[in-house]
Amino acid sequence: MALLKARELLKRFGEICAVNQVSFEVREGEIYGLLGPNGAGKTTTISMTCGLLKPDAGEVLVAGKNFWSDPQGARRILGVVPQEVALYDELTGRENLEFWGRLAGLAPKESRQRATEVLEALSLADRAQDPVKTYSGGMKRRINLGCALLHRPRLLLLDEPTVGIDPQARMNILEFVRGLATSGTAILYTTHYLEEAETLCQRIGIIDHGRLLAEGTLTELQRRLGGDQLFVLEGDLQNATPEQWPDFLERFRVIQKSEHQLVAAAIGERDPAACLKQLLALPVRVENVTLKRPSLNDVFLQLTGRQLRE
Amino acid sequence: MIGLLLAKDLRRAWRNPLPWVIHLAVPLLITGLIGLTFGRAGDRGGLGRIKLAIVDEDDSALTGFLRGALNQREAGQHIEPFFLKRDEALREISDNRLSAVVIIPRGFAQDYLTGEKRVTLELIKNPAQSFHPAIVEEFLATLTTALNALARNFQAEFPQWRAALERPGGPDFRTIGDLAIRAGDKLQAARPYLFPPLIGYERERRASESSHGPAWNIFAYLLPGMAAMFLLFLADNAVRDLYRELRFRTFERFRTLHHRLFTFIASKVIFAMVILLISAAILFGGGALIFQIRWERPLSMALAVLSYAGFGAGLMALVAAFAGNERTADILNAVFTMLLSLAGGCMFPAEQLPGFLRDHVAPLMPTNWFVVAIRGLQFGGMEEIWTHACLKLGLLGLALMALAAWRFQRRLERGQRG
Repeated sequence: MALLKARELLKRFGEICAVNQVSFEVREGEIYGLLGPNGAGKTTTISMTCGLLKPDAGEVLVAGKNFWSDPQGARRILGVVPQEVALYDELTGRENLEFWGRLAGLAPKESRQRATEVLEALSLADRAQDPVKTYSGGMKRRINLGCALLHRPRLLLLDEPTVGIDPQARMNILEFVRGLATSGTAILYTTHYLEEAETLCQRIGIIDHGRLLAEGTLTELQRRLGGDQLFVLEGDLQNATPEQWPDFLERFRVIQKSEHQLVAAAIGERDPAACLKQLLALPVRVENVTLKRPSLNDVFLQLTGRQLRE
Repeated sequence: MIGLLLAKDLRRAWRNPLPWVIHLAVPLLITGLIGLTFGRAGDRGGLGRIKLAIVDEDDSALTGFLRGALNQREAGQHIEPFFLKRDEALREISDNRLSAVVIIPRGFAQDYLTGEKRVTLELIKNPAQSFHPAIVEEFLATLTTALNALARNFQAEFPQWRAALERPGGPDFRTIGDLAIRAGDKLQAARPYLFPPLIGYERERRASESSHGPAWNIFAYLLPGMAAMFLLFLADNAVRDLYRELRFRTFERFRTLHHRLFTFIASKVIFAMVILLISAAILFGGGALIFQIRWERPLSMALAVLSYAGFGAGLMALVAAFAGNERTADILNAVFTMLLSLAGGCMFPAEQLPGFLRDHVAPLMPTNWFVVAIRGLQFGGMEEIWTHACLKLGLLGLALMALAAWRFQRRLERGQRG
């Protein structure tokens, strides 16, 4: 069952269209990744799904009901982890957790108990009594995540929760998020890290310039490039004109071309050795050819003409 | 819910007390500095004795009486007279060892008693002091009024006075005594006209007063003004916490929960009020300990402070709500606070302000309402003023709070950030 449905969401800020007809859904126990570079419209989308912003057009359905028909009710089943750390520095980790738990509707005793559980789960029990201002970036991120979990939300919205932290802390958070999904929580996860989207999310939506360009599982997205074969040619390609090479465009799809590199995907189910032979026979000076599986970055490259890392 | 938000804010303030401590320490410090510089404390925190030099260049029997009057019991409690030569007196006042010098010019007694020439007394005030020279000036004005009154009513007897005072070989004290008795009889006869029986005046005496009576404590006069100003700064600091919550994104997180925005804003205004009440208690309580002030009507004062806290929180919230961002709010609130304090008589007594400000602007300033109310409670005679002031401040505070909450809510619902 889809706990969150976004339909044709549109949001403008003056002349700028931040989100343009974005639709997706997140099911129970699923981690749906919204992947895109900075400024793609991820935060605006998540802000509309949790009611921080009202869409100019389109609608958000939470548990089958329009968000704005009962915003308070929708918010009760939501947990939101904002992109920036939203904590009180002067309070301890435990105090922050208990405070947000109480605000989410828990009784004092229940809030204390859940805070203890979350601190244990996030491996922060030993620092629970220290003020948050003494925490490292990764620890703050973990508490930031924990504050949204105390009331055990059925739907969790995570807006780039691992930005700016070390790999170890990131691994901890990702592991924790996986555990939440396993227990049935529906998770909308925005990120601009390819690896996170690839390893964490069951389904991924690629967003750029406010538009959802493609959506599906990792495999489905990879298939958009024509199977699992991607050839990277390196050499002097300054004057190369693939469209003039005989039969080339019938056999390969050009993903990217620069002065020194050409990325091409084989069209259809083909023998890699045969493909390699054809590429080496091209009328250009090739110094190196690599065969690889397509990544999300390649998908993004194909969709937008630029790398996600740029 | 408001209790939970308030407890959180108070806990944060407790953990980071420096901004609050500074705003509490500064008014006490300024009060102490001003009080010690311009007033100096007496044995009970009062004004102390005024150091006044008399330069008697006339050296007549009449001026001798005037000099003697300064050593009388009542005057001696408040004035410490020095009888010096002109050069010596000027040197002393230059060295800030005197508050004022009064010069009785040569021929003063003769001119006064004959009425041949206009007589003058010369007053030199110490510009480095404020209260003591002003008091001497007032005293001198009273003295000249009395001398004028005497000259008008006893003109006919002045030749006899003059003859008795200037008798070769020294004043004729027997004649002077007779003249004084006659003057006394005249005053006695005029008593029904001077003191009509239908209107009476009697100074109230309280059982709790010590043998010295209630001292006029300069710190008790200064502290309410300083408190009025710095309580506004504290209110500003408390209300601007809303902007800090915007900056730290905790406000945004709050908005993802199922609570109404108004709860959050109301909690901040209440937080400001609570901070102001605690601060006022520290300021006035600390003032009592440090400056030996005995607050005469603590409960009434508490009511005045409560209503002022409502006004302060409301005003600062409103400015912050319209300011648009934290930096602008900071500047605007500082400007508003300074203007209200200056025009309301917090920094200087309102009586010393330029005429237009004193007569037309100061009475409209809520800071002035508060300061006048507190001083009235402390020094007496203003029963109606303080109750009206409390009522006006309370109502104004409520109106400002409601307006601020409405404005904040509108802005934040539109997604505007601080």
